[in-house]
Amino acid sequence: MRRMTARLVLTTAAACALVACATMRVSSHVERGLDFSRYQTFDWGPADALPAGDPRLAEDRHFEDRVEGAIEKQMAARGYRRSSPGAAPDVRIHYHATIDRRLDVNETDRRTGYCGAGACLASVVEYEAGTLVVDMVDSQTNRLIWRGWAQGSVQGVLGNREHLARRVDQGVAKMFVRLPAAR
Amino acid sequence: MPTLTRHGWFAAIVLTVAAAGCAPLRATSYHWPGADVGRYRTFAWGPADRFSTGDPRLDNNEIFRARVQRAVERELLPRGLERSNGPTADVVVHVHARIDQRIQSDSIDRALAVCPPGGCGPRVYAAGTLLLDFVDTRTQRLAWRGWAEGGLDAVIDDQVRLEQMIDEAVADILARWPR
Repeated sequence: MRRMTARLVLTTAAACALVACATMRVSSHVERGLDFSRYQTFDWGPADALPAGDPRLAEDRHFEDRVEGAIEKQMAARGYRRSSPGAAPDVRIHYHATIDRRLDVNETDRRTGYCGAGACLASVVEYEAGTLVVDMVDSQTNRLIWRGWAQGSVQGVLGNREHLARRVDQGVAKMFVRLPAAR
Repeated sequence: MPTLTRHGWFAAIVLTVAAAGCAPLRATSYHWPGADVGRYRTFAWGPADRFSTGDPRLDNNEIFRARVQRAVERELLPRGLERSNGPTADVVVHVHARIDQRIQSDSIDRALAVCPPGGCGPRVYAAGTLLLDFVDTRTQRLAWRGWAEGGLDAVIDDQVRLEQMIDEAVADILARWPR
């Protein structure tokens, strides 16, 4: 019985590593028909009121510094300059991080044929998914012109700051690849 | 015409549903008795939704909201409703979107042996609901409510597919608008 449990834990861990935990889903939405070359300067803007963050990420300056540093690096690499103090920026950027409970089907067992006790039964696993959303707002019209996000399991990430920092850098870098280039 | 057995029909339906991504769009509506919906000629947009959509990718997402609004405006025009910015509009339209994760068990698939590629087993999918509320500005009461539900797996991450789904959902909902 104990062996079976150990095997089950191993299977779950393996499946988790392969399916939910290691992958990061990155994508974006963009307002159609905009010429992004008219945006050259940026600054930080106030965050949305609605989505409540997670207490494990709230008021964490280390986390915020990492996110902001990663975004600033990506913006600089794309030719955006931080607006000078007192001058209105072309775009304002804000971000929010949330954590939700999500379900996933343990598909790996079935595909690899590596199954636990008895038949190859798929199981539903619950995990915590973290989402980092980065919004770019036209500061003149106050409209959202681009939103990028990175989503992935935060299992074993929240308690490991180095790992978290790497995931933030990775996620931000991958989402900014999708930012429309200036024409 | 060859007659299909009852099981055969059922399997065919299940297969169609599976091919369409588990959950095709289903539109429903409710018309409050007494509301004179046919009278409306102008509409205005209500304030942005203050509820969470259940998905951080769609919360406060103006790009998403603008697409829904464009689709609604396009569908309402041939039904004799024009957008008005003033406070004199006959009806105010509110948009709500909601995403939930659901589990689909496979007992039917397994019984019929029509499991999707990958084999039989439970599936987790994202179910989306798009809801349109029409509030009569004179009575301040809900006059008509329509909504569409459907599977959204991997759709939010793909803007083109999401836009198609919005257009389809809005068209399905407003096809139920009383003539």
